[in-house]
Amino acid sequence: MLQKSFTRRLGRPGSLLGILLFLALPVIAQNKPAKRDDREMGRVQAMITQAKKEAEEFSKSGGKTDDLKHPNLKWAATFWRYRLKHPGTPATVVATTQAFTLLNRSNRISELQTKADTLKLDDPTWEQIINVLLFASIKTKDYSYLLAKAEALTQSAVDPKIKARARFNIGEANWKKGDTEQARINFQTVVTQYPNTPFAEEAEGNVREIELLNVGQPAPQFDHITINGDPLSLAGFKGKIVVLKFWGTY
Amino acid sequence: MGEVPLLKELYAQYKDQGVAVLGIALDEELKPVKEMVASKEISWPQLWDEDDTISKLYNVKGTPFYYLLDQEGKIAAKDIPFKKLSGAIDELLKKK
Repeated sequence: MLQKSFTRRLGRPGSLLGILLFLALPVIAQNKPAKRDDREMGRVQAMITQAKKEAEEFSKSGGKTDDLKHPNLKWAATFWRYRLKHPGTPATVVATTQAFTLLNRSNRISELQTKADTLKLDDPTWEQIINVLLFASIKTKDYSYLLAKAEALTQSAVDPKIKARARFNIGEANWKKGDTEQARINFQTVVTQYPNTPFAEEAEGNVREIELLNVGQPAPQFDHITINGDPLSLAGFKGKIVVLKFWGTY
Repeated sequence: MGEVPLLKELYAQYKDQGVAVLGIALDEELKPVKEMVASKEISWPQLWDEDDTISKLYNVKGTPFYYLLDQEGKIAAKDIPFKKLSGAIDELLKKK
């Protein structure tokens, strides 16, 4: 319908202009949502800036994290309303993540879980939310909700990145709980099942750590040049107590 | 970086009792590392872990991060907070 009226108004069917417009229309139509996405992303970013500012001012004036008047709670609700009104855009993912992050910051864990239950397992937001749930569970030392959700995601998420992240976080939760062997198995699963995700390398490091970097095990040896150009070998420190300080100027 | 003066004190206190400190900088570039070491007058050896070889070997993901190794080269503590360091060193010295 739209294409027909455009063609009628702007060029006789068959004319060069008409053909060009007809060919260009799908491109124009595709560009529109992209522009809208940019605009919405800008809007959500502005909300984030404002929320951050209000939270800073609140804590500067002595406000506590758990305070019911904390702006984080108001903003969590605002971001959640945004999600409900504007489903399915990249900005929605950012806004939803903010809502969960702010609820976690305010220690509203049960509300966090209730809201998480409304997200379908194929929601792209899970890539971030599963991390927020991990942070929340580390804080409360209660890992049951995180473990159940992450397990469901490894089964039913669509995006392999989310499946990998969920498996990785199961490993992290096992590790924090002191269930080292389960942690090792889950990290190893990330390495073998999702070799090309950013988590594979990190998971491999964790497997190594669980296997080789425990108190009482020999420290890994290395030879290196000091910043003054002198050769240095860790083996040369045998007989001494050594403090290894990993640091950075950043 | 606020720990450097305290670590210098610790180093001065223990270096004659068989305690070594080894700095491993994870920076992308060498220049700021050299500048920091010079300006803070740090005297223990420093390595620049340019390609993350050592940090991967020890699975270090953030800084600062301390490992404490005993006289036999075994791991005595991992990710030990700075303020617990001197107590842990005392323990190891007593065992010897």
